[in-house]
Amino acid sequence: MRPSFSLSSELYAQVLEQLGNLHFTETLGYDADLNFFRNDLWLCETAVIHKVTSRKGTWEIALLFAHHLTPLCFLSRRITHHTCSKRAGLIADLMRRLAAKDQRGTLRIDLSRFFMPPN
Amino acid sequence: MHTTTKIRIIESAIQLFNEHGLANVRLQQIADDAGISVGNLAYHFKNKEAIVLAVYESLFQEFAQILTHYLQQPSLADLEQQLDLYYTFFSKYRFYLIDLFEARRSCPQVVSQWQLFVSKMTLQIRKRLDYCTQRGLITPEPAPGAYDTLTNNIWMTIVFWVPQQVLRGLPLHRNQFKCAVWGQISPYFTPKGRDELNLILAAQHVG
Repeated sequence: MRPSFSLSSELYAQVLEQLGNLHFTETLGYDADLNFFRNDLWLCETAVIHKVTSRKGTWEIALLFAHHLTPLCFLSRRITHHTCSKRAGLIADLMRRLAAKDQRGTLRIDLSRFFMPPN
Repeated sequence: MHTTTKIRIIESAIQLFNEHGLANVRLQQIADDAGISVGNLAYHFKNKEAIVLAVYESLFQEFAQILTHYLQQPSLADLEQQLDLYYTFFSKYRFYLIDLFEARRSCPQVVSQWQLFVSKMTLQIRKRLDYCTQRGLITPEPAPGAYDTLTNNIWMTIVFWVPQQVLRGLPLHRNQFKCAVWGQISPYFTPKGRDELNLILAAQHVG
């Protein structure tokens, strides 16, 4: 019989406890939380990169928008798809240049805006 | 094809163990039930002990799967679903508990694995009671240790309901099993908890 991975009883009890607490701490969000998704004017002020991925037999083009002042505010949107990878790459590049505000790449991102915790 | 034959052998063994008990089943019977020759059986499992261990492995895998169904949704329906799985499990492997004392001698590792699962199962039941208390579905623990006793009673009902029905020669009914378990918790329900349980049972009745 294969030896199986197991947790000690104390640790397992803690995991179950946390799982139970999760249902109390995770509450429903507010409708306003999704405003950034609906009011997408902020997309005009973003740095853009394109992403071409193979999906369901076609090459899907997605643009990833990140705000240059609040870089943790970012959004990926699927735009279209093509059957030819070269064509998809070309179109994606054109779309990115059309969407990006900073075409010359002179904008700088301030790392202090990330508020990343040290650990 | 190789895997299919193995699974067929294991399924036949489970069925025969349930009918005749672990000690009374011969390799010939398993081979006949699986529709293969004893030689073919010996190709897949060198002896009966190997079959017994494979059956236990499959049993423990299924049990581990049931234990993952913990608080997947924040309502009593979660326990109701887990009870369904427990009933299916203990009906399918009813030989297991009846022959547990025999297995204790022949496969001691099976007993230690089972004890591990028992401790997880009781912990899940205990934490579920805490969770239901926090949600206001059952009353706070009336006296220190009362819910530990309740946990043991619920565990005993889940595990030994099927074997006791078999021993008494009574039929197995899923709903009776669930009623027996809910009956243990019933005296502690608050009106909110009772309403939630009634809603779940009513939805099942309609379904």
